[in-house]
Amino acid sequence: MAKQYGFYVEADKCVECHACAVACKAVNNVELGVHWRRVHTVWGGQFPKVTCDSISFSCMHCGSPACAAVCPTGAVKKRAEDGIVTVDQTKCIGCHACAIACPFGVPQYGKNGAMQKCNLCLDRLTADQEPACAWTCPAGAIHAGTLEDLTKLAQQKTAKQLVGSTQPSVFISK
Amino acid sequence: MKTLNEVLMTRRTFLKATGAVGAAIALSGGMQKDLLTQAENVANAAPEEKLIPTFCAMCGPSSGCGNMAKVVGGKFVGIESFPECPTNNGFNCPKAHAAPQWVYSPERLKYPMKRVGEKGEGKFQRITWDEAITLIANKLKEQKAKYGPESLGILSPARRSYSDYLYRFLMTHGSPNYGHSGICALQRMFAMYYTVGAFPSADYANADLIIIWGAQPVYSGSAKGGVGRIIAAKQRGAKFIVIKPSLESDGAVTDATWVPVRPGTDAALALAMLNVVINEKLYDAAFVEQWCYGFDQLKAHVQQYTPEWAEKITGVTTTQIKEVARLYATTPKATIDSSNGPEHARAASDTFRAMGALMAITGHLDKRGTNVWGAGSKMPAPRSVHMMDKYTQEWVDKLVGYEFPPAFQPFVEGTSSSLYRLFDSVLTGQKYPIKAIIAPGSQAIASTRGTKRILEALKKLEFFVILDVARTSDMAYADVVIPISTMYETDHPFETSGAWIMARNKVVEPLGETKSDYEFWLDLGTKMGYGADWWNGDIKKHMDWRMEPLGMTYEELRTKYPKGRTYETNPPTYEQYATRFAVKSTRIDKGPYLPQGKVALYNTLFEKAGLTPMPVWRELPEGPTATPELLDKYPLLLSDYHTSRTYNAAWLRHVPYLREIEPYPFLHIHPDTAKARRISDGDWVIVEGIHGNMKVKAMYYPGIRPDTVMVLHGWWQGCQELGMPDYPIADGGANTNNMYTTDPNKMFDPVVTGMTSQTLVQVKKA
Repeated sequence: MAKQYGFYVEADKCVECHACAVACKAVNNVELGVHWRRVHTVWGGQFPKVTCDSISFSCMHCGSPACAAVCPTGAVKKRAEDGIVTVDQTKCIGCHACAIACPFGVPQYGKNGAMQKCNLCLDRLTADQEPACAWTCPAGAIHAGTLEDLTKLAQQKTAKQLVGSTQPSVFISK
Repeated sequence: MKTLNEVLMTRRTFLKATGAVGAAIALSGGMQKDLLTQAENVANAAPEEKLIPTFCAMCGPSSGCGNMAKVVGGKFVGIESFPECPTNNGFNCPKAHAAPQWVYSPERLKYPMKRVGEKGEGKFQRITWDEAITLIANKLKEQKAKYGPESLGILSPARRSYSDYLYRFLMTHGSPNYGHSGICALQRMFAMYYTVGAFPSADYANADLIIIWGAQPVYSGSAKGGVGRIIAAKQRGAKFIVIKPSLESDGAVTDATWVPVRPGTDAALALAMLNVVINEKLYDAAFVEQWCYGFDQLKAHVQQYTPEWAEKITGVTTTQIKEVARLYATTPKATIDSSNGPEHARAASDTFRAMGALMAITGHLDKRGTNVWGAGSKMPAPRSVHMMDKYTQEWVDKLVGYEFPPAFQPFVEGTSSSLYRLFDSVLTGQKYPIKAIIAPGSQAIASTRGTKRILEALKKLEFFVILDVARTSDMAYADVVIPISTMYETDHPFETSGAWIMARNKVVEPLGETKSDYEFWLDLGTKMGYGADWWNGDIKKHMDWRMEPLGMTYEELRTKYPKGRTYETNPPTYEQYATRFAVKSTRIDKGPYLPQGKVALYNTLFEKAGLTPMPVWRELPEGPTATPELLDKYPLLLSDYHTSRTYNAAWLRHVPYLREIEPYPFLHIHPDTAKARRISDGDWVIVEGIHGNMKVKAMYYPGIRPDTVMVLHGWWQGCQELGMPDYPIADGGANTNNMYTTDPNKMFDPVVTGMTSQTLVQVKKA
């Protein structure tokens, strides 16, 4: 199997501080109103026995990305060398087919109407730097790397890879 | 726990739901251009890219987190990790990442200004820095001759690295009137110093049971170790209990037992815990015998505070009060992390006195895994600019209004009046009227109780100067506005964290004609004729003077240790009772905090000063058990949060990357409470109170007491880049300070002037 990069998110460490979400925007100059990474909260139980879980999500860089499959212009592509799903904004016609196809609601559209999303901080990875979300996390809850490395890390806990028809490249622990 | 599928489904629903918010956010052309400029810079100017080690200071008041500031083409564009900085070990929170938007914000103050319109009108004329300093100096000299030097008050919002400069200026000018907020840190410190000799910190690293009591360790400097400590303790298997009116992420992530206490009633809970521990004989008899004074009196005193009694007041069940008390007392390595929450109450000091007593009698003081004093390091302390040695009784007697009772002044930071009382003197003339207020980073109308009264005082005040980085809520009333450089635009002062010290590096040239807070005080001190005490305005000489104990100049610190110097840490020492309980106080008489050399379960110093010798319960100004007759009309208890993940008190709402995370003043309301009022999640609602009203946005929050609603304090500012307007500062806005009583007999803790943040309200759809 060719190399596949992805994320391992330790949901049991997430404190919902949003550092990852803002770091992502700052490093990638993401325009206002557009979010490549978000932190989600899920409440459970009944007062006073209440639970609250939070988790940080971005593009899952799926093994079989639905967004790329439906893209009529080939703007959304999966890179052969590292499995990262990228967008060529000059080719995107803003049809939103990818947004409809993506099971995780990832594709975002800014002022220019073209799709945009997490590219795993490709420039940084190329320069051997960690993605912004991963290095900044005060809880050390976000890891980026090859599935091989992430599998090893995830095995230290009972973390599992997300299961889905698109084969998301994301592990989650809880 | 929801299944993963449910989480992901929720996520889709959430994205759809928030699409509307995203669409409503209008991009201003300016911001867009700014982003493009940054992108172009990144694309074209690789050789000009620099990474400069420095530190953030967007929150406070403790030391700033290290970061590598990225400069491209002379412009500060972002940050990278600075792992060598021990404050935050390479992690950063949302604020530091949004820093370039803060530095280059359209709300930045770039030039000194003087008022040309009426007070409150907001008409200003640009002047030079020198003109501003001269204008202030002339006015202060005139007032000093006419009213006496004590007519000047200087406000301190919180402890900052510049706080001692305010003290120094007041000393060189001749006024004792340092105005402290009365709602932050000193309130709990005072009570703890006079109970156990000092404030002992929670030993997260070694505890088996950690009680987070009214603290927000995730929000208060998340990158500084608060989060790391919590996660590490959880991984070790430590058990957590959180005591607060709503469940927050510290409790959520640690699967903590939540004790949903009503806001402002922590003292009743602590007193009932003492009752359980004493009556069930769960205390450490040997420690009590050797190191506690007044146990028998305390035992008799707490008989009235039964768990059944406390249940009615606190809303915590008798069973849970007993469980928590027993678990804490019987777990040898148990610790309490408490902070601002319980300080905002009429029984603030009593809460911490009772908490100190609990720590002491259960043997949870200065042992591994309990509450400990720490051992410090071998780093020599840089010279302080404070002039503590000059205090006299006459100086204390001259204070316009007290934060701590006169017999206990000065406390650790110096003499102080409550900030609110400085303003009140402008209106009442008691004990004499303050005529000038200098307000560095304070915004009293948005961060201190009694908004309407502070507004009145600002209209009447003869001379008002504000110092800040960006526009403030009270700026329209200022006679002179002093624009302050952000920490990215200045090369001083140094920053310390435990055993580490580093020189601040200038990242970009100051915008407009801004200078640092430190330069302001040196310049003003010198212009006033106090130059001998102010290094004649020479900041370089001044920084070298401060560095002398470390045996190097400030430039040597910078060049020899570009990423800071780390000194050796002392090995941990425990059970240092004999020395700790004998510590001399900062009072004029320099007597010890604990006259018996023991924990003051019964406080003879308080008794002598006419204060209650043992902690007591004091009711809320308005509340379910305080004023049950009001419940028909106002059935819900309102309080506010001290801090948040994105903002700092009344600041930073104008920074768009932060505002996107927390776009509105969200009222946390239990879904059942909301539904009973036909309020949907996200509805704008009116909070009707006894003293004012607010318009805020309802957020369904399953982790809050159904009889309580809470909102973050400090809302007033809009965000230009997101097209969001300012909110009114008084009624109709979102300023919680407008909601509470200003009855002087009800608004304060009588010992430490802690200001209440509880009242009764009704909530209706707007």
